[in-house]
Amino acid sequence: MAVTGRDDRAGQDVLRRVGEASVLILISLADGPKHGYALIQDIKELAGVELGPGTLYGALDRLERLGLIEPLPADDRRHPYRITAPGAAALRVHLESLERVSAAGRLRLQLGGI
Amino acid sequence: MDESRAARLVETALLCYPARWRRRHGDEAAELAALLIRDGTPASSIAGSYLAGAAREWLTPRPGRRLSMAVGALLVAAASLGVSAGLLPATVPARAAVTSQHHAPAQCQPGSPEPGPDVTPALAHLRVISWETGHGRSC
Repeated sequence: MAVTGRDDRAGQDVLRRVGEASVLILISLADGPKHGYALIQDIKELAGVELGPGTLYGALDRLERLGLIEPLPADDRRHPYRITAPGAAALRVHLESLERVSAAGRLRLQLGGI
Repeated sequence: MDESRAARLVETALLCYPARWRRRHGDEAAELAALLIRDGTPASSIAGSYLAGAAREWLTPRPGRRLSMAVGALLVAAASLGVSAGLLPATVPARAAVTSQHHAPAQCQPGSPEPGPDVTPALAHLRVISWETGHGRSC
């Protein structure tokens, strides 16, 4: 089966299936390293979403396994994380994909006159 | 809920994670829970989130881990947290009359009793939003 341009772009978007919590974590880390509590506070402020701590650690482990974030040396008991270069690239691709979908949605609402 | 009881509930939930996870995140997770409780997040919500996280951790395929081991650990974990949560409503009236009480913390050990029928209302208060693979849900 031929791969269309759209499928190709979707194939590059590794964040498509990691879940919204993981995407929010990457967005939060995009402006600098943070530890767990700072991530929860920042995401609450940024998106109005209160991540549960169990969800947070699950997403951090998943992102680390994918090589999208990496832990920094522990500061006391807290482990800060930072986004890696592949993580930043993946986030950029994902946000561009969201922007395309968002623009298409707005256009259809406009065309539909709703 | 007083501070020690809240801490015990969270500790019980953290004990439900695999040892490997606890070695890596255990101290930080306990500190994070303390900070969230200080900010006003209910301890039951935090414990529920950690319990759901522990379930996901056990169910994530890892080399050398058998499915039966994961299922057994989850059953024990659910029973342990159920007992801890079930103790809460029962102990609240007693606090008025008794100046000091001691409950041994429930452990995630084989042989923990099954949760009783009064456990469900206590667990129904869990409010922290838990997201997994893009699906919002309340745990």
